[in-house]
Amino acid sequence: MARISFSQATAGALLLVMAILVILIPLLPGYDPYTQDLGATLLPMGGTSFDGKTFLLGTDTLGRDLLSRLALAGEVSTLIGLGAVAVSLVMGVTLGLIAGYFRGPVEAVIMGLADLQLSIPRVLLLIAVTAIVGPSVFNLAILLGLTSWVAYGRVARGMTLSLREREFILSARVQGASATWNIRQHLLPNVLPQMLIVGSYEFGMIIVLEASLSYLGLGVQPPLPSWGMMVSEGQNYLSLAPHLAMLPSIALFILVAGFQFLSQAFTKENDLEMVS
Amino acid sequence: MAGFIFKRLLQSVLTIAGVITAAFFLTRLAGDPSVLLLPPEASPEDAARLRSALGLDQPLFIQYLLFMGNAMTGDFGMSLRQAVPAMDLVLERVPATMELAVASFAVGIGLAFVLGILMRLTRQGWVRDVITWAALGRQAIPVFSFGLVMILIFSVWLRWLPSYGRGTFAHLILPALTLGTYELALYLRLFNASLSAEQRNDYVRTAYAKGQGRIQVLLKHMLPNALLPLITVAGINLGMLLGGTVVTETVFSWPGVGRLIVQSVSQRDFPVIVAGVFLISLVFVVINLIVDILYGFLDPRVRLN
Repeated sequence: MARISFSQATAGALLLVMAILVILIPLLPGYDPYTQDLGATLLPMGGTSFDGKTFLLGTDTLGRDLLSRLALAGEVSTLIGLGAVAVSLVMGVTLGLIAGYFRGPVEAVIMGLADLQLSIPRVLLLIAVTAIVGPSVFNLAILLGLTSWVAYGRVARGMTLSLREREFILSARVQGASATWNIRQHLLPNVLPQMLIVGSYEFGMIIVLEASLSYLGLGVQPPLPSWGMMVSEGQNYLSLAPHLAMLPSIALFILVAGFQFLSQAFTKENDLEMVS
Repeated sequence: MAGFIFKRLLQSVLTIAGVITAAFFLTRLAGDPSVLLLPPEASPEDAARLRSALGLDQPLFIQYLLFMGNAMTGDFGMSLRQAVPAMDLVLERVPATMELAVASFAVGIGLAFVLGILMRLTRQGWVRDVITWAALGRQAIPVFSFGLVMILIFSVWLRWLPSYGRGTFAHLILPALTLGTYELALYLRLFNASLSAEQRNDYVRTAYAKGQGRIQVLLKHMLPNALLPLITVAGINLGMLLGGTVVTETVFSWPGVGRLIVQSVSQRDFPVIVAGVFLISLVFVVINLIVDILYGFLDPRVRLN
Protein backbone atom coordinates (compact mmCIF):
# COMPACT_ATOMS: atom_id res chain seq x y z
CA MET A 1 0.00 0.00 0.00
CA ALA A 2 1.67 3.18 -1.17
CA ARG A 3 1.55 6.17 1.11
CA ILE A 4 -0.53 9.04 -0.19
CA SER A 5 1.65 12.10 -0.60
CA PHE A 6 0.69 15.56 0.55
CA SER A 7 0.26 16.83 -3.02
CA GLN A 8 -1.98 13.89 -3.86
CA ALA A 9 -4.16 14.42 -0.80
CA THR A 10 -4.50 18.17 -1.40
CA ALA A 11 -5.23 17.68 -5.09
CA GLY A 12 -7.83 15.04 -4.21
CA ALA A 13 -9.55 17.23 -1.62
CA LEU A 14 -9.68 20.33 -3.85
CA LEU A 15 -10.90 18.43 -6.89
CA LEU A 16 -13.51 16.62 -4.79
CA VAL A 17 -14.98 19.98 -3.76
CA MET A 18 -15.01 20.96 -7.45
CA ALA A 19 -16.66 17.69 -8.47
CA ILE A 20 -19.39 18.23 -5.87
CA LEU A 21 -20.01 21.74 -7.18
CA VAL A 22 -19.95 20.89 -10.86
CA ILE A 23 -21.53 17.41 -10.89
CA LEU A 24 -23.67 17.08 -7.76
CA ILE A 25 -25.24 20.55 -7.43
CA PRO A 26 -26.97 20.45 -10.84
CA LEU A 27 -28.66 17.17 -9.79
CA LEU A 28 -30.16 18.64 -6.64
CA PRO A 29 -33.70 20.04 -6.51
CA GLY A 30 -33.73 23.82 -6.62
CA TYR A 31 -30.92 23.98 -9.18
CA ASP A 32 -31.85 26.94 -11.34
CA PRO A 33 -29.14 29.16 -12.83
CA TYR A 34 -31.42 31.26 -15.06
CA THR A 35 -34.67 32.37 -13.37
CA GLN A 36 -34.50 36.04 -12.45
CA ASP A 37 -36.29 37.41 -9.43
CA LEU A 38 -36.04 41.18 -9.28
CA GLY A 39 -37.63 41.13 -5.83
CA ALA A 40 -34.71 39.11 -4.46
CA THR A 41 -31.58 40.73 -5.89
CA LEU A 42 -28.20 40.83 -4.15
CA LEU A 43 -29.25 38.58 -1.30
CA PRO A 44 -26.38 37.77 1.07
CA MET A 45 -25.23 34.20 1.69
CA GLY A 46 -28.04 32.23 3.31
CA GLY A 47 -30.48 35.04 2.50
CA THR A 48 -34.22 34.41 2.12
CA SER A 49 -36.44 36.07 -0.50
CA PHE A 50 -39.92 37.48 0.22
CA ASP A 51 -41.62 34.33 -0.96
CA GLY A 52 -39.61 32.29 1.52
CA LYS A 53 -36.97 30.75 -0.75
CA THR A 54 -33.54 30.41 0.87
CA PHE A 55 -30.40 30.91 -1.20
CA LEU A 56 -27.36 29.18 0.28
CA LEU A 57 -24.86 31.48 -1.43
CA GLY A 58 -27.22 34.39 -2.06
CA THR A 59 -28.31 35.90 -5.38
CA ASP A 60 -26.77 38.10 -8.07
CA THR A 61 -27.86 41.51 -9.40
CA LEU A 62 -30.81 39.95 -11.23
CA GLY A 63 -31.88 37.75 -8.35
CA ARG A 64 -30.49 34.54 -9.84
CA ASP A 65 -29.26 31.77 -7.53
CA LEU A 66 -25.48 32.15 -7.15
CA LEU A 67 -24.82 28.54 -6.21
CA SER A 68 -26.52 27.27 -9.36
CA ARG A 69 -24.70 29.81 -11.49
CA LEU A 70 -21.35 28.88 -9.95
CA ALA A 71 -22.05 25.22 -10.73
CA LEU A 72 -23.09 25.86 -14.33
CA ALA A 73 -20.14 28.22 -14.87
CA GLY A 74 -17.85 25.48 -13.59
CA GLU A 75 -19.33 23.04 -16.07
CA VAL A 76 -18.86 25.49 -18.93
CA SER A 77 -15.24 26.23 -17.97
CA THR A 78 -14.42 22.55 -17.53
CA LEU A 79 -15.87 21.73 -20.94
CA ILE A 80 -13.92 24.53 -22.60
CA GLY A 81 -10.78 23.45 -20.76
CA LEU A 82 -11.12 19.79 -21.74
CA GLY A 83 -11.87 20.69 -25.36
CA ALA A 84 -8.89 23.04 -25.51
CA VAL A 85 -6.53 20.53 -23.90
CA ALA A 86 -7.68 17.85 -26.36
CA VAL A 87 -7.12 20.14 -29.35
CA SER A 88 -3.72 21.38 -28.18
CA LEU A 89 -2.55 17.92 -27.11
CA VAL A 90 -3.35 16.35 -30.48
CA MET A 91 -1.85 19.27 -32.38
CA GLY A 92 1.24 19.61 -30.17
CA VAL A 93 2.04 15.89 -30.05
CA THR A 94 1.60 15.51 -33.80
CA LEU A 95 3.81 18.50 -34.65
CA GLY A 96 6.36 17.62 -31.98
CA LEU A 97 6.70 14.00 -33.12
CA ILE A 98 6.99 15.04 -36.77
CA ALA A 99 9.61 17.68 -35.93
CA GLY A 100 11.64 15.29 -33.81
CA TYR A 101 11.40 12.33 -36.18
CA PHE A 102 12.12 14.03 -39.49
CA ARG A 103 14.50 16.75 -38.26
CA GLY A 104 15.89 19.07 -40.96
CA PRO A 105 13.76 21.80 -42.56
CA VAL A 106 10.48 20.32 -41.25
CA GLU A 107 11.76 20.69 -37.71
CA ALA A 108 13.03 24.22 -38.40
CA VAL A 109 9.63 25.32 -39.70
CA ILE A 110 7.66 23.77 -36.83
CA MET A 111 9.94 25.09 -34.11
CA GLY A 112 10.05 28.50 -35.82
CA LEU A 113 6.27 28.54 -35.66
CA ALA A 114 6.46 27.73 -31.94
CA ASP A 115 8.90 30.62 -31.35
CA LEU A 116 6.67 32.98 -33.32
CA GLN A 117 3.66 32.02 -31.27
CA LEU A 118 5.57 32.56 -28.03
CA SER A 119 6.54 36.06 -29.16
CA ILE A 120 2.93 37.26 -29.02
CA PRO A 121 1.54 37.21 -25.46
CA ARG A 122 -1.21 34.59 -25.45
CA VAL A 123 -3.89 36.78 -23.91
CA LEU A 124 -3.34 39.46 -26.56
CA LEU A 125 -3.41 37.00 -29.43
CA LEU A 126 -6.65 35.52 -28.09
CA ILE A 127 -8.19 38.98 -27.63
CA ALA A 128 -7.34 39.92 -31.20
CA VAL A 129 -8.67 36.67 -32.66
CA THR A 130 -11.87 36.43 -30.58
CA ALA A 131 -12.58 40.10 -31.35
CA ILE A 132 -12.66 39.13 -35.01
CA VAL A 133 -14.21 35.64 -35.12
CA GLY A 134 -16.61 36.35 -32.26
CA PRO A 135 -16.68 34.62 -28.87
CA SER A 136 -18.62 31.41 -28.29
CA VAL A 137 -18.02 28.32 -26.19
CA PHE A 138 -16.99 26.35 -29.28
CA ASN A 139 -14.71 29.09 -30.65
CA LEU A 140 -13.10 29.53 -27.24
CA ALA A 141 -12.26 25.84 -26.89
CA ILE A 142 -10.78 25.74 -30.41
CA LEU A 143 -8.85 29.02 -30.12
CA LEU A 144 -7.49 28.24 -26.66
CA GLY A 145 -6.45 24.85 -28.02
CA LEU A 146 -4.79 26.22 -31.15
CA THR A 147 -2.72 28.70 -29.12
CA SER A 148 -1.61 26.21 -26.45
CA TRP A 149 0.16 23.49 -28.45
CA VAL A 150 3.72 24.80 -27.97
CA ALA A 151 4.32 23.20 -24.55
CA TYR A 152 3.31 19.74 -25.83
CA GLY A 153 5.18 20.23 -29.09
CA ARG A 154 8.45 21.14 -27.42
CA VAL A 155 8.36 18.28 -24.93
CA ALA A 156 7.28 15.73 -27.55
CA ARG A 157 10.06 16.85 -29.87
CA GLY A 158 12.65 16.75 -27.10
CA MET A 159 11.69 13.20 -26.16
CA THR A 160 11.59 12.08 -29.80
CA LEU A 161 15.12 13.35 -30.41
CA SER A 162 16.51 10.82 -27.97
CA LEU A 163 13.98 8.04 -28.66
CA ARG A 164 14.64 7.97 -32.41
CA GLU A 165 18.25 6.92 -31.81
CA ARG A 166 17.22 3.98 -29.64
CA GLU A 167 17.58 0.40 -30.88
CA PHE A 168 13.90 -0.50 -31.08
CA ILE A 169 13.23 2.35 -33.47
CA LEU A 170 16.39 1.82 -35.48
CA SER A 171 15.62 -1.87 -35.91
CA ALA A 172 12.08 -1.11 -37.04
CA ARG A 173 13.48 1.40 -39.51
CA VAL A 174 16.04 -1.05 -40.83
CA GLN A 175 13.25 -3.59 -41.35
CA GLY A 176 11.49 -1.08 -43.54
CA ALA A 177 8.88 0.32 -41.16
CA SER A 178 7.38 3.53 -42.49
CA ALA A 179 7.65 6.83 -40.65
CA THR A 180 3.93 6.79 -39.86
CA TRP A 181 4.21 3.29 -38.39
CA ASN A 182 7.21 4.23 -36.28
CA ILE A 183 5.61 7.40 -35.00
CA ARG A 184 2.31 5.74 -34.21
CA GLN A 185 3.51 2.41 -32.85
CA HIS A 186 6.77 3.33 -31.16
CA LEU A 187 6.99 7.03 -30.42
CA LEU A 188 3.43 7.93 -29.47
CA PRO A 189 3.05 5.40 -26.61
CA ASN A 190 6.37 6.54 -25.19
CA VAL A 191 5.62 10.25 -25.08
CA LEU A 192 1.95 10.00 -24.09
CA PRO A 193 2.36 9.71 -20.29
CA GLN A 194 4.49 12.85 -20.20
CA MET A 195 1.95 14.60 -22.42
CA LEU A 196 -0.81 13.90 -19.91
CA ILE A 197 1.28 15.57 -17.21
CA VAL A 198 1.76 18.62 -19.40
CA GLY A 199 -1.99 18.47 -20.03
CA SER A 200 -2.91 18.51 -16.35
CA TYR A 201 -0.67 21.55 -15.85
CA GLU A 202 -1.97 23.29 -18.97
CA PHE A 203 -5.60 22.65 -17.99
CA GLY A 204 -5.22 25.04 -15.05
CA MET A 205 -3.57 27.65 -17.28
CA ILE A 206 -6.38 27.38 -19.82
CA ILE A 207 -9.05 27.76 -17.14
CA VAL A 208 -7.32 30.99 -16.04
CA LEU A 209 -7.05 32.24 -19.63
CA GLU A 210 -10.71 31.51 -20.30
CA ALA A 211 -11.68 33.23 -17.05
CA SER A 212 -9.54 36.25 -17.97
CA LEU A 213 -11.15 36.52 -21.40
CA SER A 214 -14.60 36.19 -19.85
CA TYR A 215 -13.67 38.82 -17.29
CA LEU A 216 -12.78 41.16 -20.16
CA GLY A 217 -16.14 40.39 -21.80
CA LEU A 218 -14.54 38.43 -24.63
CA GLY A 219 -15.17 34.91 -23.41
CA VAL A 220 -18.36 33.11 -22.54
CA GLN A 221 -21.36 35.28 -23.40
CA PRO A 222 -24.53 35.81 -21.30
CA PRO A 223 -26.94 34.32 -20.39
CA LEU A 224 -24.44 31.45 -19.97
CA PRO A 225 -22.46 32.16 -16.80
CA SER A 226 -18.69 32.00 -16.42
CA TRP A 227 -16.62 32.59 -13.32
CA GLY A 228 -14.64 35.38 -14.99
CA MET A 229 -17.79 37.15 -16.08
CA MET A 230 -19.34 36.75 -12.62
CA VAL A 231 -16.27 38.39 -11.07
CA SER A 232 -16.54 41.26 -13.51
CA GLU A 233 -20.26 41.72 -12.69
CA GLY A 234 -19.45 41.59 -9.00
CA GLN A 235 -16.74 44.24 -9.24
CA ASN A 236 -19.30 47.05 -9.24
CA TYR A 237 -20.80 45.75 -5.99
CA LEU A 238 -17.54 45.16 -4.18
CA SER A 239 -18.39 47.23 -1.12
CA LEU A 240 -22.10 46.34 -1.08
CA ALA A 241 -21.93 42.60 -1.75
CA PRO A 242 -18.32 41.38 -1.89
CA HIS A 243 -19.38 37.72 -2.14
CA LEU A 244 -20.52 38.38 -5.72
CA ALA A 245 -16.92 38.71 -6.88
CA MET A 246 -15.27 36.58 -4.22
CA LEU A 247 -17.26 33.34 -4.60
CA PRO A 248 -16.34 32.80 -8.27
CA SER A 249 -12.77 33.79 -7.40
CA ILE A 250 -12.66 31.10 -4.71
CA ALA A 251 -14.10 28.56 -7.15
CA LEU A 252 -11.37 29.45 -9.66
CA PHE A 253 -8.72 29.13 -6.97
CA ILE A 254 -9.94 25.68 -5.93
CA LEU A 255 -9.94 24.36 -9.50
CA VAL A 256 -6.59 25.88 -10.50
CA ALA A 257 -4.82 24.93 -7.27
CA GLY A 258 -6.30 21.44 -7.54
CA PHE A 259 -4.75 20.92 -10.96
CA GLN A 260 -1.45 22.46 -9.88
CA PHE A 261 -1.19 19.91 -7.09
CA LEU A 262 -2.31 17.15 -9.42
CA SER A 263 0.44 17.85 -11.94
CA GLN A 264 2.94 18.16 -9.07
CA ALA A 265 1.84 14.79 -7.70
CA PHE A 266 2.18 13.22 -11.18
CA THR A 267 5.59 14.79 -11.66
CA LYS A 268 6.95 13.53 -8.36
CA GLU A 269 5.48 10.08 -8.76
CA ASN A 270 7.06 9.58 -12.15
CA ASP A 271 10.25 11.32 -11.11
CA LEU A 272 10.03 13.74 -14.02
CA GLU A 273 11.23 17.26 -14.45
CA MET A 274 8.40 19.76 -14.50
CA VAL A 275 8.09 21.48 -17.82
CA SER A 276 6.57 24.90 -18.07
CA MET B 1 30.37 37.66 -30.66
CA ALA B 2 29.48 39.54 -33.88
CA GLY B 3 28.20 36.31 -35.40
CA PHE B 4 26.06 35.59 -32.35
CA ILE B 5 24.53 39.07 -32.38
CA PHE B 6 23.88 38.83 -36.12
CA LYS B 7 22.16 35.46 -35.78
CA ARG B 8 19.99 36.65 -32.91
CA LEU B 9 19.15 39.87 -34.79
CA LEU B 10 18.10 37.94 -37.88
CA GLN B 11 15.91 35.70 -35.73
CA SER B 12 14.18 38.74 -34.22
CA VAL B 13 13.58 40.32 -37.62
CA LEU B 14 12.01 37.05 -38.84
CA THR B 15 9.80 36.91 -35.76
CA ILE B 16 8.61 40.47 -36.30
CA ALA B 17 7.88 39.68 -39.95
CA GLY B 18 5.87 36.71 -38.69
CA VAL B 19 3.93 38.93 -36.29
CA ILE B 20 3.13 41.36 -39.12
CA THR B 21 1.98 38.44 -41.29
CA ALA B 22 -0.30 37.26 -38.49
CA ALA B 23 -1.60 40.83 -38.13
CA PHE B 24 -2.32 40.95 -41.88
CA PHE B 25 -4.39 37.77 -41.78
CA LEU B 26 -6.23 39.03 -38.70
CA THR B 27 -7.17 42.31 -40.37
CA ARG B 28 -8.34 40.51 -43.48
CA LEU B 29 -10.37 38.10 -41.35
CA ALA B 30 -12.06 41.14 -39.83
CA GLY B 31 -13.58 41.84 -43.21
CA ASP B 32 -13.35 44.58 -45.82
CA PRO B 33 -12.21 47.73 -44.00
CA SER B 34 -13.86 49.95 -46.62
CA VAL B 35 -17.29 48.67 -45.52
CA LEU B 36 -16.51 49.64 -41.93
CA LEU B 37 -15.19 53.06 -42.94
CA LEU B 38 -17.99 54.17 -45.28
CA PRO B 39 -21.35 55.54 -44.21
CA PRO B 40 -24.26 53.28 -45.20
CA GLU B 41 -25.53 55.76 -47.82
CA ALA B 42 -22.24 55.77 -49.78
CA SER B 43 -22.57 55.09 -53.52
CA PRO B 44 -20.83 52.12 -55.18
CA GLU B 45 -18.54 54.62 -56.96
CA ASP B 46 -17.45 56.08 -53.61
CA ALA B 47 -16.81 52.57 -52.31
CA ALA B 48 -14.71 51.72 -55.38
CA ARG B 49 -12.71 54.95 -54.99
CA LEU B 50 -12.00 54.23 -51.33
CA ARG B 51 -11.08 50.64 -52.09
CA SER B 52 -8.51 51.69 -54.68
CA ALA B 53 -7.20 54.42 -52.36
CA LEU B 54 -6.66 51.78 -49.67
CA GLY B 55 -5.15 49.37 -52.20
CA LEU B 56 -7.92 46.83 -51.65
CA ASP B 57 -8.41 46.32 -55.41
CA GLN B 58 -4.89 44.91 -55.69
CA PRO B 59 -4.11 41.16 -55.65
CA LEU B 60 -3.80 39.70 -52.14
CA PHE B 61 -0.04 39.33 -52.38
CA ILE B 62 0.43 43.00 -53.32
CA GLN B 63 -1.90 43.94 -50.47
CA TYR B 64 0.29 41.89 -48.16
CA LEU B 65 3.44 43.72 -49.32
CA LEU B 66 1.68 47.08 -48.91
CA PHE B 67 0.58 46.10 -45.41
CA MET B 68 4.12 44.95 -44.59
CA GLY B 69 5.56 48.26 -45.82
CA ASN B 70 3.04 50.31 -43.88
CA ALA B 71 3.54 48.27 -40.74
CA MET B 72 7.30 48.86 -40.89
CA THR B 73 6.61 52.57 -40.57
CA GLY B 74 4.04 51.98 -37.83
CA ASP B 75 1.12 52.78 -40.11
CA PHE B 76 -1.85 50.52 -39.34
CA GLY B 77 -4.44 52.84 -40.85
CA MET B 78 -6.85 55.24 -39.22
CA SER B 79 -8.85 54.40 -36.12
CA LEU B 80 -12.41 53.57 -37.16
CA ARG B 81 -13.86 55.61 -34.28
CA GLN B 82 -11.62 58.65 -34.08
CA ALA B 83 -10.05 60.51 -36.99
CA VAL B 84 -6.54 59.71 -35.76
CA PRO B 85 -3.97 57.16 -36.95
CA ALA B 86 -4.40 53.97 -34.91
CA MET B 87 -0.74 53.91 -33.88
CA ASP B 88 -0.99 57.44 -32.42
CA LEU B 89 -3.77 56.31 -30.07
CA VAL B 90 -1.62 53.37 -28.98
CA LEU B 91 1.57 55.42 -28.50
CA GLU B 92 -0.34 57.88 -26.31
CA ARG B 93 -0.99 55.03 -23.86
CA VAL B 94 2.52 53.58 -23.84
CA PRO B 95 3.91 55.56 -20.86
CA ALA B 96 1.15 54.29 -18.56
CA THR B 97 1.76 50.66 -19.54
CA MET B 98 5.52 51.10 -19.26
CA GLU B 99 5.10 52.51 -15.78
CA LEU B 100 2.95 49.56 -14.72
CA ALA B 101 5.20 46.95 -16.34
CA VAL B 102 8.42 48.37 -14.87
CA ALA B 103 6.87 48.73 -11.41
CA SER B 104 5.49 45.16 -11.53
CA PHE B 105 8.82 43.81 -12.73
CA ALA B 106 10.57 45.59 -9.87
CA VAL B 107 8.02 44.29 -7.34
CA GLY B 108 8.46 40.71 -8.60
CA ILE B 109 12.26 40.75 -8.62
CA GLY B 110 12.47 42.77 -5.41
CA LEU B 111 10.15 40.46 -3.47
CA ALA B 112 11.88 37.34 -4.82
CA PHE B 113 15.22 38.84 -3.79
CA VAL B 114 14.19 39.81 -0.27
CA LEU B 115 12.13 36.68 0.43
CA GLY B 116 14.73 34.41 -1.16
CA ILE B 117 17.48 35.78 1.07
CA LEU B 118 15.20 35.61 4.09
CA MET B 119 14.52 31.94 3.32
CA ARG B 120 18.28 31.30 3.13
CA LEU B 121 19.19 33.08 6.32
CA THR B 122 16.36 32.10 8.61
CA ARG B 123 16.79 29.06 10.80
CA GLN B 124 13.02 28.83 11.27
CA GLY B 125 11.50 26.13 9.08
CA TRP B 126 8.01 27.57 9.28
CA VAL B 127 9.13 30.91 7.77
CA ARG B 128 10.31 29.05 4.68
CA ASP B 129 7.06 27.08 4.52
CA VAL B 130 4.86 30.16 4.85
CA ILE B 131 6.73 31.99 2.07
CA THR B 132 6.68 28.97 -0.26
CA TRP B 133 2.99 28.33 0.29
CA ALA B 134 2.00 31.97 -0.04
CA ALA B 135 3.85 32.20 -3.37
CA LEU B 136 2.32 28.94 -4.64
CA GLY B 137 -1.14 30.01 -3.53
CA ARG B 138 -0.72 33.37 -5.25
CA GLN B 139 0.06 31.56 -8.49
CA ALA B 140 -3.30 29.81 -8.37
CA ILE B 141 -5.26 33.09 -8.20
CA PRO B 142 -5.96 34.80 -11.53
CA VAL B 143 -4.76 38.40 -11.83
CA PHE B 144 -8.26 39.90 -11.83
CA SER B 145 -9.36 37.97 -8.73
CA PHE B 146 -6.23 38.94 -6.83
CA GLY B 147 -6.69 42.57 -7.89
CA LEU B 148 -10.22 42.61 -6.52
CA VAL B 149 -9.09 41.06 -3.23
CA MET B 150 -6.49 43.84 -2.98
CA ILE B 151 -9.14 46.47 -3.71
CA LEU B 152 -11.51 44.92 -1.19
CA ILE B 153 -8.89 44.96 1.57
CA PHE B 154 -6.95 48.17 0.92
CA SER B 155 -9.58 50.39 -0.70
CA VAL B 156 -12.98 49.24 0.56
CA TRP B 157 -12.18 48.09 4.09
CA LEU B 158 -9.03 49.94 5.12
CA ARG B 159 -9.49 52.94 2.77
CA TRP B 160 -5.73 53.32 2.44
CA LEU B 161 -5.25 53.25 -1.31
CA PRO B 162 -7.20 54.36 -4.39
CA SER B 163 -8.86 51.52 -6.31
CA TYR B 164 -8.70 52.90 -9.84
CA GLY B 165 -7.03 55.42 -12.13
CA ARG B 166 -3.50 56.67 -12.54
CA GLY B 167 -1.77 59.72 -11.13
CA THR B 168 0.02 59.55 -7.82
CA PHE B 169 2.39 56.90 -6.52
CA ALA B 170 -0.44 55.55 -4.36
CA HIS B 171 -2.37 54.68 -7.54
CA LEU B 172 0.49 52.48 -8.69
CA ILE B 173 0.82 50.33 -5.56
CA LEU B 174 -2.15 47.97 -5.93
CA PRO B 175 -1.79 47.32 -9.69
CA ALA B 176 1.95 46.69 -9.36
CA LEU B 177 1.45 44.34 -6.41
CA THR B 178 -1.27 42.48 -8.29
CA LEU B 179 0.73 41.94 -11.45
CA GLY B 180 4.18 41.70 -9.89
CA THR B 181 3.44 38.87 -7.48
CA TYR B 182 1.92 36.54 -10.10
CA GLU B 183 5.23 34.93 -11.06
CA LEU B 184 6.74 35.12 -7.58
CA ALA B 185 6.65 31.34 -6.97
CA LEU B 186 8.65 30.74 -10.15
CA TYR B 187 11.21 33.43 -9.30
CA LEU B 188 11.64 32.15 -5.75
CA ARG B 189 12.18 28.58 -6.94
CA LEU B 190 14.74 29.73 -9.49
CA PHE B 191 16.56 32.01 -7.08
CA ASN B 192 16.74 29.24 -4.50
CA ALA B 193 17.94 26.73 -7.06
CA SER B 194 20.70 29.01 -8.31
CA LEU B 195 21.76 29.91 -4.76
CA SER B 196 21.95 26.20 -3.94
CA ALA B 197 24.02 25.61 -7.06
CA GLU B 198 26.44 28.39 -6.08
CA GLN B 199 26.71 26.93 -2.59
CA ARG B 200 28.61 23.93 -3.96
CA ASN B 201 31.33 26.01 -5.62
CA ASP B 202 34.91 26.14 -4.40
CA TYR B 203 34.93 29.90 -3.99
CA VAL B 204 32.18 29.62 -1.37
CA ARG B 205 34.20 27.08 0.61
CA THR B 206 37.25 29.31 0.31
CA ALA B 207 35.29 32.28 1.63
CA TYR B 208 34.07 30.26 4.61
CA ALA B 209 37.62 28.99 5.17
CA LYS B 210 38.83 32.58 5.31
CA GLY B 211 36.49 32.98 8.24
CA GLN B 212 33.69 35.01 6.64
CA GLY B 213 30.22 34.75 8.09
CA ARG B 214 27.15 33.25 6.38
CA ILE B 215 25.60 36.61 5.62
CA GLN B 216 28.77 38.00 4.15
CA VAL B 217 29.37 34.97 1.92
CA LEU B 218 25.78 35.03 0.74
CA LEU B 219 25.55 38.74 -0.03
CA LYS B 220 29.06 39.43 -1.28
CA HIS B 221 30.04 36.25 -3.07
CA MET B 222 27.05 34.17 -4.03
CA LEU B 223 24.48 36.83 -4.83
CA PRO B 224 26.05 38.38 -7.94
CA ASN B 225 26.26 34.96 -9.57
CA ALA B 226 22.83 33.79 -8.46
CA LEU B 227 21.01 36.90 -9.67
CA LEU B 228 21.87 36.42 -13.33
CA PRO B 229 19.54 33.50 -14.09
CA LEU B 230 16.76 35.17 -12.12
CA ILE B 231 16.92 38.33 -14.20
CA THR B 232 17.15 36.38 -17.46
CA VAL B 233 14.07 34.32 -16.74
CA ALA B 234 12.21 37.39 -15.57
CA GLY B 235 13.16 39.03 -18.89
CA ILE B 236 11.92 36.05 -20.88
CA ASN B 237 8.74 36.00 -18.82
CA LEU B 238 8.07 39.60 -19.69
CA GLY B 239 5.61 38.34 -22.29
CA MET B 240 3.47 36.98 -19.47
CA LEU B 241 3.82 40.32 -17.70
CA LEU B 242 2.88 42.33 -20.78
CA GLY B 243 -0.12 40.05 -21.37
CA GLY B 244 -1.04 40.48 -17.71
CA THR B 245 -1.09 44.27 -18.08
CA VAL B 246 -4.23 43.91 -20.22
CA VAL B 247 -6.21 42.37 -17.38
CA THR B 248 -4.60 44.45 -14.63
CA GLU B 249 -5.27 47.69 -16.48
CA THR B 250 -8.93 46.70 -16.85
CA VAL B 251 -9.28 45.85 -13.15
CA PHE B 252 -7.80 49.16 -12.00
CA SER B 253 -9.02 51.35 -14.89
CA TRP B 254 -5.36 52.04 -15.66
CA PRO B 255 -5.18 54.10 -18.88
CA GLY B 256 -2.63 51.93 -20.72
CA VAL B 257 -2.34 50.09 -24.03
CA GLY B 258 -4.07 46.97 -22.69
CA ARG B 259 -7.17 48.84 -21.61
CA LEU B 260 -7.21 50.65 -24.97
CA ILE B 261 -7.15 47.27 -26.76
CA VAL B 262 -10.02 45.92 -24.66
CA GLN B 263 -12.07 49.10 -25.20
CA SER B 264 -11.34 48.97 -28.92
CA VAL B 265 -12.66 45.40 -29.03
CA SER B 266 -16.06 46.49 -27.76
CA GLN B 267 -16.02 49.38 -30.28
CA ARG B 268 -14.86 47.00 -33.05
CA ASP B 269 -11.98 49.36 -33.82
CA PHE B 270 -9.75 46.76 -35.52
CA PRO B 271 -6.82 48.98 -36.62
CA VAL B 272 -6.27 50.02 -33.00
CA ILE B 273 -6.43 46.39 -31.78
CA VAL B 274 -3.89 45.26 -34.37
CA ALA B 275 -1.60 48.25 -33.78
CA GLY B 276 -1.69 47.63 -30.01
CA VAL B 277 -1.00 43.90 -30.25
CA PHE B 278 1.78 44.57 -32.76
CA LEU B 279 3.47 47.17 -30.57
CA ILE B 280 3.42 44.99 -27.45
CA SER B 281 4.81 42.02 -29.40
CA LEU B 282 7.51 44.25 -30.86
CA VAL B 283 8.54 45.47 -27.41
CA PHE B 284 8.59 41.88 -26.20
CA VAL B 285 10.80 40.69 -29.08
CA VAL B 286 13.21 43.60 -28.65
CA ILE B 287 13.52 43.03 -24.89
CA ASN B 288 14.20 39.34 -25.43
CA LEU B 289 16.86 40.26 -27.96
CA ILE B 290 18.54 42.64 -25.53
CA VAL B 291 18.41 40.12 -22.67
CA ASP B 292 19.95 37.43 -24.89
CA ILE B 293 22.76 39.67 -26.16
CA LEU B 294 23.53 40.91 -22.64
CA TYR B 295 23.62 37.33 -21.47
CA GLY B 296 25.97 36.48 -24.31
CA PHE B 297 28.33 39.21 -23.07
CA LEU B 298 28.14 38.10 -19.46
CA ASP B 299 28.35 34.36 -20.04
CA PRO B 300 30.48 33.29 -23.02
CA ARG B 301 29.04 29.75 -22.94
CA VAL B 302 25.72 31.07 -24.27
CA ARG B 303 27.09 32.47 -27.52
CA LEU B 304 29.23 29.41 -28.24
CA ASN B 305 26.23 27.14 -28.07
